Amino acid sequence: MEFIKPGRVFDFMRYRTAAVATSSILVLLSVLSLFWPGPNFGIDFTGGTEVQLRFRGDISTAELRETLEGLEYQSPDVIAVQGAANEYIVRVREVSTLPADIDERIRTELGNTLGDTEVIALRVSPGGDKVSVRLGASAEPAQIRTALEASGVSLRGDVVRFGPESDFRYEANLVGVADRLVSQLEEQLGERGPEEPLRIEWVGPRAGEQLRNSALKALLYAIAFIMVYVAFRFDLRFAPGGIIALIHDAVITVGVFVLVQREFNLTTIASLLTIIGYSINDTIVIYDRIRENTARHRGKSMAELINISTSEMLSRTIVTSGVTLLAIVPFFIWGTQVIQDIAFALFIGFLAGVYSTIYIAAPVTEWFDKVVFAKARERALAAARGRAAAGT
Amino acid sequence: MDRGWYLRLGFVVTCVVAAWLALWPSVDAWIPAPEWVKSTFTHQIAPGLDIRGGLRLQYEVEVDEAVADRRDFRAQQVVERLCQQFEICEENEPPTREQLDETAERVRVATAGEQGFRLTFTNPEDVAELDRDLITSFGDLREAQRTETTVTLELRDDSLERLRDTAVEQARETIGNRIDEMGLREASVMTRDTDIIVELPGASEAQFQQMREIIARTARLEFKVVDDLADFVQTLQDLPEGIERASEVVSAGEENPQEIVYYLTASGEGSRDRLQAYVLSLRDSGQIPEDHQLAIGQADQGEPEEGEEVEEAWRTYYLYDRAELTGDAIDDASVSVDPQDNQPYVSIVFNGAGARAFERLTGANVKRRMAIVLDDRVASAPVIQQRIGGGRAQITLGGFRDYNQILNEANQLTIVLRAGALPAPIRPANEQLIGPTLGADSIVQGAIGAGLGVLLVLLFMAFYYQVGGLVADVAVFLNVIFLLAVLAAFEATLTMPGIAGIALTIGMAVDANVLINERIRDEMRLGKSPRSAVELGYQRAFTSIFDSQITTFIAGVVLYQYGSGPIRGFAVTLMIGIVTSLFTGVFCSKVVFDWVVRGLKVRRLPVG
Repeated sequence: MEFIKPGRVFDFMRYRTAAVATSSILVLLSVLSLFWPGPNFGIDFTGGTEVQLRFRGDISTAELRETLEGLEYQSPDVIAVQGAANEYIVRVREVSTLPADIDERIRTELGNTLGDTEVIALRVSPGGDKVSVRLGASAEPAQIRTALEASGVSLRGDVVRFGPESDFRYEANLVGVADRLVSQLEEQLGERGPEEPLRIEWVGPRAGEQLRNSALKALLYAIAFIMVYVAFRFDLRFAPGGIIALIHDAVITVGVFVLVQREFNLTTIASLLTIIGYSINDTIVIYDRIRENTARHRGKSMAELINISTSEMLSRTIVTSGVTLLAIVPFFIWGTQVIQDIAFALFIGFLAGVYSTIYIAAPVTEWFDKVVFAKARERALAAARGRAAAGT
Repeated sequence: MDRGWYLRLGFVVTCVVAAWLALWPSVDAWIPAPEWVKSTFTHQIAPGLDIRGGLRLQYEVEVDEAVADRRDFRAQQVVERLCQQFEICEENEPPTREQLDETAERVRVATAGEQGFRLTFTNPEDVAELDRDLITSFGDLREAQRTETTVTLELRDDSLERLRDTAVEQARETIGNRIDEMGLREASVMTRDTDIIVELPGASEAQFQQMREIIARTARLEFKVVDDLADFVQTLQDLPEGIERASEVVSAGEENPQEIVYYLTASGEGSRDRLQAYVLSLRDSGQIPEDHQLAIGQADQGEPEEGEEVEEAWRTYYLYDRAELTGDAIDDASVSVDPQDNQPYVSIVFNGAGARAFERLTGANVKRRMAIVLDDRVASAPVIQQRIGGGRAQITLGGFRDYNQILNEANQLTIVLRAGALPAPIRPANEQLIGPTLGADSIVQGAIGAGLGVLLVLLFMAFYYQVGGLVADVAVFLNVIFLLAVLAAFEATLTMPGIAGIALTIGMAVDANVLINERIRDEMRLGKSPRSAVELGYQRAFTSIFDSQITTFIAGVVLYQYGSGPIRGFAVTLMIGIVTSLFTGVFCSKVVFDWVVRGLKVRRLPVG
């Protein structure tokens, strides 16, 4: 069985202008999409609210997750606590929002209520779930409560003293996302619903700057090293095409991800890395054939060589990419959210990879060959002619 | 079949058997492994947090300690600047001990509250030296109070807030780095206010214990000069029970090569706490001068006799409080074993600035003892014999423990030194075992997805390339086993994205066989015999296969080198996948093909 009849040559290069133009527009759109609508960052990048709940009745991880999704929490994390039945840690992306000037207001109210007692430090947690105050002297928790309520926040539970005796530190939990979540779950689950939350906390973003930077740095270095290898192993003219194709694939995938507003998280980054690995793989195989054919078909133009080589490898391209896509499809059909996201990213990236090998890597190589190397060849030729003329 | 083929077959079979044995304990739940296999091959694939769950640790960063550190550091810097203003010290040169002593006669420094310090001048006219420019040149200091002979400086409130935030952020980074240093564990490290939450995948309590120790270790390393000329310990009266005064002869500078030095010592159970409590009481009652410190270290017990139980013993060192060099100056750390006495030690390499500072420090203190203080405990206090260039130093971890204990501690120490010290100590706040983050439903579905994906690939290959496809299928099957076996040997953590990655590696690994089969087809079309078509097919396809895999491998190496956490884990899986797929796709499949065309001597080779 064969997909492509041997010996047939397709004129791929005929459509290169249109293809490069289309790709450029798509890449531009992808970049623009980062500003609008902007990536839908997951909890990994944004942080959120974490609640630990114990349920009165039996509930499974899957059911709880579905219920939360039904309540329009986007891709919530549900983690079972081991050794305790029906106890879960729930993480959602929502955080309670407090007015921007809340610090000021609380300070003023504390000043009004406490009189001379100095407010050494005041901290409203970025998740809007907790206020902690440190005072210069002892104060009644009730006084602090009055001040906080006067400044417009609603408290959950009491104001409590914490930390060492010598410090006058007080803390209060605020009503927020967690309370809404609990009451919504009560409504949905009725008797099986959650008890009072065991713990409510704000979670900071997991992928901090360091992770982002190291991922970006790793990518840039990887690209640079691949370029050096290709330049060394093949020819300098091949390197830029491969790299541009690789960047093209990554950017397009990010663009599609942003446009369909799928969640952008650490898993997405892992998928992007896979795409880059695959994309360069595919390009190298075709480059290899072009190099082989350069020796075999002397005198043919670069465009013709590309057409011949790509046509010869077409069967392989279809089989390999087809098989790889085949391996992804089941994940897409049977996987849950996280797995579907990976499969989706890979699907887009691999399609882009196959396309970019033919329509980005090859034209760039041809163009680079024409602009940089053709001139050098002409100069060499002219010099040779000059020498010949001088000789006669 | 020739001997070469049998050799290659033998090699493949050996690899398969070894791989299966390495993998068996990891799949024990489905295919029970015999006891001897489990006890020999102890390494297993560790299911990740998303699949298996793990331990969730919550730490509170003691940010106030970071503030106190900064305050003390600034105080030290201000004194150094005054030393220059008084024209006692050279500019751009770190001050020597004598110069600092001379400065201390004109200005004394003492802490004043949480965020401030007070400078007391002997001559009122010196106060003017501490002018506005000098204070504002430290961006985070402000003057709180000034009297005739004293100036109180404080850390500014805004920088205090920033300091607290960065302390937490740095602690998160450090903990992340330490976990990375431990290998492939894909832990998640999150921050929340002043808390750090670490979620570690894994199974055994022993592993968790080791991680807890490594995570919570402060690893504050300081080099401090021992003040052996002071008679502080000699003058102490009324020593509590169980604490004795002892003396030794050491060299204390080139002019005093034979100095009798007194120290405190205690031995037996609880001796460390006893000594610590006394030293703290001395400090709190203000008996130890502000610029000095009485530090504790293990006492050397000499060579124990064979089989003799060595009793623990502790002793004090009287040090200058000022840290001449800290762990920030370290570039790398590694464990070595001294061939002379077979004791493990940690050798450290300083970074550029650190190496220069160390050289100056050793040059200025020849024949004096320098204490290497690790987390406020003196690890060792060797006498500096000469100026030490080259930026290398050693930390010996002596004591009354056996070889393995010391080696273990040395290994842990290198991990924490390489990853950097925590900017502030952390305190465990909460700990619980958690279930899979993905949920059992997702895991089953993911596994179904992976299995079906592989099955579809196998079916398609057999259908499209017929015999060639079956050979490829054998290669793919072996690839799965090898890949998982290597992951098990590395004790890699397997997460859901990891499983998807493996399914993909398989898709990509087929590429090698596709290239080979396409080449074989080409050769057959040219009328070659099956035997030579296979030979040529492999030969010609090899460069493409090699080139395409090596570029991906380069990507893997770089990602490993510069990435962290999940990126590193991914990179390792990628690199292992490339190596195993090269081996199975090119080497193993050739063995099978050779058997078909040479052993079975087929006339016609159906490859689609």
